[in-house]
Amino acid sequence: MSDFEPRIVAFFCNWCTYGAADLAGVSRLDYPPNFRVVRLPCTGRLNPKFIMEAFKRGADGVWVSGCHPGDCHYIAGNYHARRKFVLMHQLLESIGVEPDRLRFSWISSAEANKFQAMARDVVEHVKACGPNTTFRKEDLKLGLAEVA
Amino acid sequence: MSEYIVKENALVDFFKSLASGRRLLTPQGLGDKCKLEETPPDKVNLDFSNTHMSPKSLLFPQTEALMAFHNDASKPQAFVYQSLGDKGEPLAVFGIRPCDAKGLSIANKVFQNDRFTDNYWKGKIDQAVLVGLACDNPSPQCFCAAMGGSPFGEAGLDVLAFRQGKDLGLKPLTPKGEELVKASGAQTANLADAIKGLEAEAVKSQGVPPDYKGIDNADLMALFNDPHWLATAENCLNCGVCTFFCPTCHCFDIQDETSEKGGVRMRNWDTCMSWLFTVHGTGHNPRPSKTERVRQRFMHKLKYIPLKQDGVRGCTGCGRCVAMCPVNIDIRSVALKMTQTAASQA
Amino acid sequence: MPALTDITNKIRESAKKLLASGQAEVVIGYRQGTIPMTTSPFFARTADECDLLVWSNFARINLANYLPGRAGKVAMVAKGCDARSAIGQVTENQILKDNLYIIGVPCTGMIDTNLVVAKEARPIREVVETADDSITVKGQGFSTDIKKDEVLRRNCKTCVNRTPKLANELVGQEVNGAAADDFADIKALLAKTPAERMGYFKDLIKDCLRCYACRNACPLCYCPVCFVDETRPQWLGKSTDPMDTMTFHLLRGLHCAGRCTSCGACETACPVNIKVREFNRVMELTVQNNWNYEPGLSWDQKPPLTMFQTDDAADFIK
Repeated sequence: MSDFEPRIVAFFCNWCTYGAADLAGVSRLDYPPNFRVVRLPCTGRLNPKFIMEAFKRGADGVWVSGCHPGDCHYIAGNYHARRKFVLMHQLLESIGVEPDRLRFSWISSAEANKFQAMARDVVEHVKACGPNTTFRKEDLKLGLAEVA
Repeated sequence: MSEYIVKENALVDFFKSLASGRRLLTPQGLGDKCKLEETPPDKVNLDFSNTHMSPKSLLFPQTEALMAFHNDASKPQAFVYQSLGDKGEPLAVFGIRPCDAKGLSIANKVFQNDRFTDNYWKGKIDQAVLVGLACDNPSPQCFCAAMGGSPFGEAGLDVLAFRQGKDLGLKPLTPKGEELVKASGAQTANLADAIKGLEAEAVKSQGVPPDYKGIDNADLMALFNDPHWLATAENCLNCGVCTFFCPTCHCFDIQDETSEKGGVRMRNWDTCMSWLFTVHGTGHNPRPSKTERVRQRFMHKLKYIPLKQDGVRGCTGCGRCVAMCPVNIDIRSVALKMTQTAASQA
Repeated sequence: MPALTDITNKIRESAKKLLASGQAEVVIGYRQGTIPMTTSPFFARTADECDLLVWSNFARINLANYLPGRAGKVAMVAKGCDARSAIGQVTENQILKDNLYIIGVPCTGMIDTNLVVAKEARPIREVVETADDSITVKGQGFSTDIKKDEVLRRNCKTCVNRTPKLANELVGQEVNGAAADDFADIKALLAKTPAERMGYFKDLIKDCLRCYACRNACPLCYCPVCFVDETRPQWLGKSTDPMDTMTFHLLRGLHCAGRCTSCGACETACPVNIKVREFNRVMELTVQNNWNYEPGLSWDQKPPLTMFQTDDAADFIK
């Protein structure tokens, strides 16, 4: 399993975590390249559909990160998001998705070091979960094998 | 063609002969779990009411892949759709009820007619031999007689089987059926009168069938424009239960799905109860509310299909939609309203 | 007089009064179904039509489903759960409180036809509902008494709010429900391993046809375009793929969080008898644990997903 490189979809708020990733980059803090970032205007924009779509299409993990509560660029976006996260987190855990596959964090644009640590932590934990085989759409099992 | 009989002690041998060289499917399970399943010849059950869902998915699965392509440029035919062909295999289906077989025969005219042939359907039906089992004790929600069928109806079947005491009577209806029955070693017997007697009794148990003939003769636009549709549809939820359970509903939606490895073109059951069924690319929807959608379903069953299929109604009276509808919209009541419209126009 | 007949008479009486006085233009109630063990939602607009209204052990569909977006004054017959749904719709601005009149029926629970069929497998041609605590099912050559307690729907067994206390009027004596719903079934489920839970939920929905009867029977599902019907982008495949089906049930569970009143209409409507409410119950438990909220218990409560507290707990967010 050690050579398994997970693919993680990351949803970052434009105003904070995205900036933190940028700062980590220009500060030459190295972090694993296992995630692809989708930039959101705010974590309040995160529709649970996005998380499901990522898993459905075979993501091994999803990482959502935004501004610390109280620091939202739009005043209250992440307060609303937080309630949705509680539901999404609980629902997916309840139906048996490993909790480490879906991670949430608050990282401000100044916290490059926290970003680096969190990125490493997320990747490490998803790696430990192994490839996502149970909570994804099987690659077009209908017919594709017959023509390949 | 004469009739045949299989004695009680020869039933297992009969089913063995059905199963030789084919998969034998019969209704297994109780209640909402009753469905057509592969059955060992000694496990065939004759005491069932009917399968929970209609048998149409044998020939027309809810999801069916039609063609596929792969993305691997190192292999031939990359990015080119290739037909997946039909998934037909030799099948013997025993225990289809006459209403459901009639349903298949109606859908058959949609998938195979003088204008075109659907190879996916044809491949399956050509290799299947359908042995029906007549209903000697129709369920309370059955009304095949009212829809021009019979508990002993023959449409769509290769062989009609019926219970003759503890024995099984057989009436071959097609050359394919005749061949099957002969190969099974069943003995010939003259059972024409017995069938008539049993059929009369079964029909009687459904009571006096209501007369919907008025609909057949009525003006289409008069039926279409009748104000009763507003009330008829008022409690409809617009779910797809009636259409998914209907043995004659045959509408589908073609979808492409792709991944990084390739793509598949598939067809899936669709339902006219859905808003999405008719919405155009422009956003315009010719059936904008449930009233139009409910009207479409009943007009299709009771008027459009009879117009296209020589008077045969698109409802076979299996009663599934009546039993399954969450709000009890009963096609018999709707047919009655349409009959009244027809009478008031006449 | 048996309770059901009494309630039926009072519903008719009330409906006629409401129509005559102009307090309602239409009364939404139930009519006897055309086959045994069914009722049909019915819209009474005249006194004659009011005489078709009935109360029954099989009044399972939630009539609040017909309220959103309705113009004009409307009265509805409601069990405890249905009234809560209607009140929820008022708090969600789907219908004006002033336009709504709730004829509340203190409810002793509705019957699950599947449980009846499990007890009496022979074809049932008639059901007699004259007794208060049992029903009699009849068919060819048989007549069987069945205790109501043994065939109640599972949501009715754990129902706390049987009496619609906020209704404009009550037809019948108040009924007490369970003291509290302890969510024992869900807690037992959550105690299992993740793999077991995943297996359980996948098995739960394996027969799903995606007919969306659960969604359409649900008084919470009033979106003009459901996410499953969206095409640009298309979030859900149309095939019977298990992951697409799972996505539908999960997202529906999320959309109903903090709003579901456990009326059981979804499970009643499901033609393949999926326990659809498992998803909703997980969410209800979460909402109660986190925000101590139950929907439809007051006219002015704010749905939990429309508000927040600055100190909402969410320890899992690092």
